[in-house]
Amino acid sequence: MTAAQVPLSAWLLFAAPIAALLLGFFVFRPLKPEWTHLPILLSCAVVTGASLALTARVLAGGSFDLNLYRWAAAGRWAIDFGLRVDGPGTAVLSMVAVVGSLIHVYAASYMKGDPGFSRFFLVFHLFFLAMIGLLTANNFVQLYLFWELVGVASYLLVGFWFHKESARKAALKAFLTNRVGDFGFLLALLLILTSFKVGHFQLVYFLVRNSTTMPEFLPLIGVLLIWAACAKSAQFPLYFWLPDAMEGPTPTSALMHAATMVTAGVFLLIRAWPLIAAVPALPPLVAAIGAFTAVFAAVLAATKKDLKRILAYSTVSHLGLMMLALGLGQVAVAVLHLIIHGFFKAALFLCAGNVGHAIHQPTANVDDVGGWGPSMRMTQACFVLAALSLAGIWPFGGFFSKDAILDAALARGGAFALAGALVSVLSAFYIFRMMFLTFHGARPEQKGLGAHPHEAGPEFVAPIVLLSLGAALAGLLKSRVETLVVLGWQQVPFVVPIIGGQLRILRADLPGVSVLPEFSATVFAIGTGLAALGAGAAYYATMMDASWDWRWRASSPRLSNVFESDFGWKIVVDRLVAGVAGFARFVGQVFDKAWWDGAIEGAGTAAGGAGGILSGFSRGRLNDALWWMTAGTALLLAARGLR
Amino acid sequence: MSAAIWAITAFLFSAGLAAVVLRRQLLAMLLGVELMIAGVNVALVHYAGRYADAEALAAVAVVIAVAAAEAVVGLSLILKVLRSGRGLDAGDLAELRG
Amino acid sequence: MTLWAVMIAGAVAASFAAAMLLSRSLYVGAVCLLVVLLQTALIFLLRGAPLLGLLQVMIYAGAVMVLVVVTIMASGGTPAAERLADFTVPRWAAAAAVAAVALELVLTLAAARAVPEAAPALAPASGDYASAFGVSLFRSYSLATEAVTLLMFLAGLAVLPEKEAP
Repeated sequence: MTAAQVPLSAWLLFAAPIAALLLGFFVFRPLKPEWTHLPILLSCAVVTGASLALTARVLAGGSFDLNLYRWAAAGRWAIDFGLRVDGPGTAVLSMVAVVGSLIHVYAASYMKGDPGFSRFFLVFHLFFLAMIGLLTANNFVQLYLFWELVGVASYLLVGFWFHKESARKAALKAFLTNRVGDFGFLLALLLILTSFKVGHFQLVYFLVRNSTTMPEFLPLIGVLLIWAACAKSAQFPLYFWLPDAMEGPTPTSALMHAATMVTAGVFLLIRAWPLIAAVPALPPLVAAIGAFTAVFAAVLAATKKDLKRILAYSTVSHLGLMMLALGLGQVAVAVLHLIIHGFFKAALFLCAGNVGHAIHQPTANVDDVGGWGPSMRMTQACFVLAALSLAGIWPFGGFFSKDAILDAALARGGAFALAGALVSVLSAFYIFRMMFLTFHGARPEQKGLGAHPHEAGPEFVAPIVLLSLGAALAGLLKSRVETLVVLGWQQVPFVVPIIGGQLRILRADLPGVSVLPEFSATVFAIGTGLAALGAGAAYYATMMDASWDWRWRASSPRLSNVFESDFGWKIVVDRLVAGVAGFARFVGQVFDKAWWDGAIEGAGTAAGGAGGILSGFSRGRLNDALWWMTAGTALLLAARGLR
Repeated sequence: MSAAIWAITAFLFSAGLAAVVLRRQLLAMLLGVELMIAGVNVALVHYAGRYADAEALAAVAVVIAVAAAEAVVGLSLILKVLRSGRGLDAGDLAELRG
Repeated sequence: MTLWAVMIAGAVAASFAAAMLLSRSLYVGAVCLLVVLLQTALIFLLRGAPLLGLLQVMIYAGAVMVLVVVTIMASGGTPAAERLADFTVPRWAAAAAVAAVALELVLTLAAARAVPEAAPALAPASGDYASAFGVSLFRSYSLATEAVTLLMFLAGLAVLPEKEAP
């Protein structure tokens, strides 16, 4: 396939957002900033159509991987820009396009009246473009480029309300923590380029599959990529930036920190899966990280009071579930959960945004709300749908993916089974706790801020309705996703120009990506039972014993502190950062200014001093010269005499 | 005899050297130079007699003549310095000035 | 006999040299130097070179010292307040350097006992030796003699045309 045969929809994927950004920045922003969202919404629609068309194409067997432009070349290897349209890529791309477009529509109403409206939309759409680029990259370098761009957009959006110090700090924390992970990615990238001499996915798959011995650095590459994924996808130990990233506006939280950006880490691991699967020790590592994070975050989500932070920890937990699925070898399951999670988490975040909008705050605390169900019926209905999907109740969407994960975990047994079970219970618990506390029965502790909760206008509610319907009905997509991942991945032809002018089409024989497990009644029963247990516990803790949530905090403040500081991890991180900052301050002020500059200037001063001393010997006096002559003669005579 | 001559030579030469190195006035330095030359001449003449080598005496004659010329030049330089108004103190004449 | 004469002349010369070194007034120094030069002329005579002794007296005592005294007169001749110069190093170090050179000179000369003392103490004041001097002046040293003549001329030139400042 040549560049001329690339379908129009692939070009539109990029052309539409770029055109919208240019138009918005150069025409609308200076002239009429409140209309900036118009070209952008149009671009969203085009992108959605294009991505669905590409998905249909891949389902029909038309995936492709193509180099389009040689960016840099040196000797035998080069860095190219290219497009890879294959199963997992288009599956996630469609979700990003649909969910992203709906959130763009929501944001048009949510951000109305904000002085930074134009800036918001431009950065938001830049992020959208970066995500598209990330999902269609065909080599590691291009993926890294868009990965970094996504990080930049995250920084700009988390720190959107930059006059707030908490927002600035959160933005910096998000960016720097991602940077720590990106460093790992960069090292992995360099190792890949060194070991394999190429960075293209297809070529690397081919080389890994066809090498008899494991390439030397492959374990290190795998660990570094996992590290990068931990940072971007907020896994333990690098998850702590995500709860603070809730300082950004709600559309940001919904799109980036729920549905798309944080899934980039998981997507990286999916793209690099043949490398990671080639090292026997790495998949269990991924699964262990995922399982631990899932349980850890689920426990913390059940104890938080800020609505958006509950959802943030929930996102961390679900990302852990995706990593667990991946680590157990279930790539298709991980992709399915990624997609369905995108729908219900976005819906939940936008509901929280509605609640916050009702009290004219960026976010809401459980202290400020309570019993708002009757006033916000539509929001409540959407929330319930999304919550049921999250908890994994049949027939709602989340059930299919969670059931599959639970199946795989139970099949593996041991700690993973326990983790899977715990997460099922806890996720049901925290989401129903959130629902009961917000929408049902005002409690005496919930003073509220005196505002009258009212349902937001239709332009706020419509996107949420669509998203929650998507979350509910996503189970219908199950088989399509399976087809995309399993077949779409293996059938990608990659055209390789070989030295000599010939073209060769490479098909990598990829490791089995495991179809979705068969329906098992046992697992269904177990899963539903666990979810019901969690929901029942939530009902008891919030409805039947209305003040339990406040009581345990008051009665054992130490326990409350433990949960508040994430079991002490936040304190550890703060100490670490303070230590590094102290070291940096030492280097900057003491070492650099005092010692180094002092040494350099001291050298000059010393030279001057030495010169001053030495110049004292030649002041131009005649008698001094004569004396030197005499002394020299004396020495010479002495030397001669001694000899 | 030779010992006496050596002693005389050594003493005159050292005294002349001391005068040149240690004295402050330029004229005193010049006198010291003359003293040094005298000492050396003494030694030369003695050894000329010792080895009956008359050519050494010719050397002494040349030395005397050259020393006289050098004294003339030196004195005229000292007069120039004197006339420039800077005094004849070697300690003051530490900078080149035109 | 001659030895004693030489030693006396040497002693006088040495004492007047020391006096010249330490004199405060330049006039005194010039006179002391004059005495030293006369003593050396005497030594020349005693050692069998009468012509040189004569030349010494004529040129040095007669011409050079006159010039020196005239210059001293032109410079005012007032006794200087400070005889010895200042050095960067302390004065005793400077004196020590000079003393070291003197000592080494003595030692060097003392060690230069190449030729035994069997040579005649008194050089024969024979016509051969004395006339050989004159002969060598115009034979082996003829160029040197001419050069010295030229030098005298140039020295005269250096002093004569003194343009008076307007």
